[in-house]
Amino acid sequence: MLRYVLRRIVMLIAICFIISVGSFYLIHLLPGNITTVIEGPGASPENQAKLYKLLGLNKPIYQQYFVWIGNVLRGNLGTSFISQTSVASTIRAALPIDLEIMFLSQILAFATAIPIAMRSARKPDGWLDRTFSAGSFTLLSVPTFIVIVLMVLFISVKLGVPHTGPSSYVSFSQDWIGNLESLALPAVALAIGSFVVYYRVLRSDLIATLQEEFITMARSKGLSQRRIMWRHAFRPSSVALLGAAGVNIGGLLASGFVVQYLLNIPGLGYTLISAINMSDYLLVQGIVLVVSVGVVLINFIFDFIINIVDPRISRE
Amino acid sequence: MSNFPQFNVLEEAILVEKPEKKEPLGVLFWICVGWIGLNIVGAIFANVLPIENPLFQNYSLVNAGPSLHHLFGTDDLGRDIFSRVVYGSRVSLSVGAGAMLIGFGVGAPLGMLAAFRRGRFDAILTNVMYVLLAFPAIIATIAILSFWTPRTLFKIIVVIGIASVPLVYRVIRTATLSVATKDFIVAAKVQGATDRRILLRELMPNIAPIAISFLLIGVATVIALEGALAFLGLSVNPPTPSWGNMINESRTILQMNPWLVIFPSAALCLFLLCLNFIGDRLRHHFDVTEVKL
Amino acid sequence: MSFDNKKLLAVKDLATTFHTAGGDLPAVGGVSFDMESNQTIGIVGESGSGKTVLSRTIMGLQQRTNVTVTGSVLLSGFEMVGASEDEKRERWGTEVAMIFQDPMTSLNPVMKVGKQIDETLRVRLGMSKADAKARAIELLELVGIPSPQYRYDAYPGQLSGGMRQRVVIAISLACSPKLLLADEPTTGLDVTIQAQILNLLEELKERLEMSVILVTHDLGVVATRTSRIIVMYAGRIVEIGSTREVFAHHRMPYTRALLESSPKVSNASHTRLTTIPGRPPNLLKLTQGCSFAPRCSYATEKCHVDRPELEAADEPGHMFACWNPLPKTRRTVKK
Repeated sequence: MLRYVLRRIVMLIAICFIISVGSFYLIHLLPGNITTVIEGPGASPENQAKLYKLLGLNKPIYQQYFVWIGNVLRGNLGTSFISQTSVASTIRAALPIDLEIMFLSQILAFATAIPIAMRSARKPDGWLDRTFSAGSFTLLSVPTFIVIVLMVLFISVKLGVPHTGPSSYVSFSQDWIGNLESLALPAVALAIGSFVVYYRVLRSDLIATLQEEFITMARSKGLSQRRIMWRHAFRPSSVALLGAAGVNIGGLLASGFVVQYLLNIPGLGYTLISAINMSDYLLVQGIVLVVSVGVVLINFIFDFIINIVDPRISRE
Repeated sequence: MSNFPQFNVLEEAILVEKPEKKEPLGVLFWICVGWIGLNIVGAIFANVLPIENPLFQNYSLVNAGPSLHHLFGTDDLGRDIFSRVVYGSRVSLSVGAGAMLIGFGVGAPLGMLAAFRRGRFDAILTNVMYVLLAFPAIIATIAILSFWTPRTLFKIIVVIGIASVPLVYRVIRTATLSVATKDFIVAAKVQGATDRRILLRELMPNIAPIAISFLLIGVATVIALEGALAFLGLSVNPPTPSWGNMINESRTILQMNPWLVIFPSAALCLFLLCLNFIGDRLRHHFDVTEVKL
Repeated sequence: MSFDNKKLLAVKDLATTFHTAGGDLPAVGGVSFDMESNQTIGIVGESGSGKTVLSRTIMGLQQRTNVTVTGSVLLSGFEMVGASEDEKRERWGTEVAMIFQDPMTSLNPVMKVGKQIDETLRVRLGMSKADAKARAIELLELVGIPSPQYRYDAYPGQLSGGMRQRVVIAISLACSPKLLLADEPTTGLDVTIQAQILNLLEELKERLEMSVILVTHDLGVVATRTSRIIVMYAGRIVEIGSTREVFAHHRMPYTRALLESSPKVSNASHTRLTTIPGRPPNLLKLTQGCSFAPRCSYATEKCHVDRPELEAADEPGHMFACWNPLPKTRRTVKK
């Protein structure tokens, strides 16, 4: 177990290193003089000097990386030349919104996918199983950005349900009920995408688990069906579910970007797209770095949980 | 009443010959193949087909509903939505085909070789690929596309293609491993067959079903990804129509012209559904269960 | 003790048919036998003879929609065939318990072994958490697991095959069942471990006053440990009788073939084992006649068209199903 965790930590550090090199190098993909591209032609010499210092532009490229990563580790991601605010503080303001949307959507997705998959797997080919299998297969082919556009079209535009349309976001500190209302649509849209994945993974894994001899053994002990389903079948199968959830995180974030973009919710996704459109490259770089490291960290945590649930994995 | 799916005593305890019957592909399979074929033909021959110029703006007929003259109606600039949907498939199809060509062109040979050779080559390559897999590919794709301007179809294909390499590598390597350790491969080795022969004649045909069904799912995923990127304005620049950027353009005029959302969405979803369905049927047909896709 | 109480198990005309894509498959047919308390009986046969299906049918574990079970299984006077899952569940563990073939698959891999014993005690006997744990450790000790307090927290993957089978036995004994069905309890284990497990079972049977049905393909296993033997072939009983009688005076050629094909210590080294020609029949394509006829050197025309029923041999309780039984002389086959 300890060896396994250490190996994962080494891997984690390696990945974070690659991410940092990648994010660092992004700036150099830009054509032309870097300060001009980043800060515009009319940048003040003072700002230019600041950028030079941040990026260490007068040094060879590998030294530039160390200058930059040193700044990043001290929490200095530079200053956006458009808003004149620090990139780090912009990210700090936007990040909670992404986390809230993801949290809500995952709660919804797990709360629906787990019980339905359990029922499905108990009677494969029953009406419930057939309906949800066919339905989820169809939904698998509907990208989240289409789900959200169609939801806005039918729910906010056609039905006119209040607080669901674009630009109706209310911050949590302002009014928490209004905040939940304004995030309901995004959370449901993302939950649908996750539900499809979780339901399908858990259902097929449960069906396989229920064929196992230890399930028959559990029955022969005289345990109730409920207990067998939850204690004996769900736990080994939840490994597949957690695995799917870990893999799903990256896609979920990207879907979150789409939702924020459409509904003007000022999370990281919305901030990222507007930064791209306004060529605010330092902000883009900062968001990419934070989000990538975040995804990798979440994956690491999922790995860790899977390990606790299924002790076989680290022993392999 | 309780109804657990039962244990498989049947096969263990009673000697019955397992029916070696392959699951039939079914009519729906061929309908899906037909639909994909139709889309491909439409995309290739779009400029020969008797449809309107997708860029022609008819200001006297803006945001019109479907009619005989404009099957899917017109958009806010009076452009024919039907012809834009047909032309738009070009972007989706070329990204799907091109990116997977890169992904499989690089990932598949590497995966096969690694699984076949094993040893240090495999160990190093696999570790590198696993590190890359842990990298959030979608975020990387968005990042690179936002910096690597101006965005062209070629760049999009290259970025998505490269991002898919580690995934293809892993699938093909696992598939090859499951075949390469089987007795008939060992037998071929013992008989002195050349590596080249084993790879091409023995391994290839056996992993082909897995590769093909994964390819189809890969194409579907890539097309959906391109759609999302186009929706965020990170794919080919307007006025070139693509399914994703058509949906993007429509989002500000949802109230006035829902058709502009519905038709490209339907085209995209139907295409993805057909791809997924074909992949799923093929997996059942070839009984691909050993490798988790 | 009344007559009814003595009869722990009465199986009558039991038949299990699987409805498969290839047609109806009679896995078990026309099986009848009785069993008294405190007895050990052995069910032997090649793989595919339906002995596993029979034991699971007696237990009542079949419930798949494509299975039909007919006949009767009276367990302490309760009819198991056609009983609801709830009714059967009341008896599982307390009246009848089962040890499964492969301890590698019959334990939940992600649950501590102690918990797997615990839960039976808590759910079935309503014990408190602390009591259940104490009892579970006792049980682990009973089945001969060293340092049981420590093993209580082990996962199945951390135990050897023999240890795991001991845990399985501990689980099945948790609610002191009257009847223990052991389905090939040693097939998945090393030869050296096999004897240990079988001796343990025998010892526990005496100590806890249970009855045991030992299902096996290995005649050596049943020879010294059972009082009665049931020989099965193609889902039917072909010979049944006291162990001594079946070994010494078996009448069915299949029983002899089975005996001759198992190795014996008393054989001179390099003795060739006799094999039974052919394979067990495809149950989907059974003929009218005796199912062993195609492999039997004594088979006559009649054997191929007419199935023999069980008929009584000399000793009471000894029966066999054969048109051309072996003569009644004493056989030389040694235990």
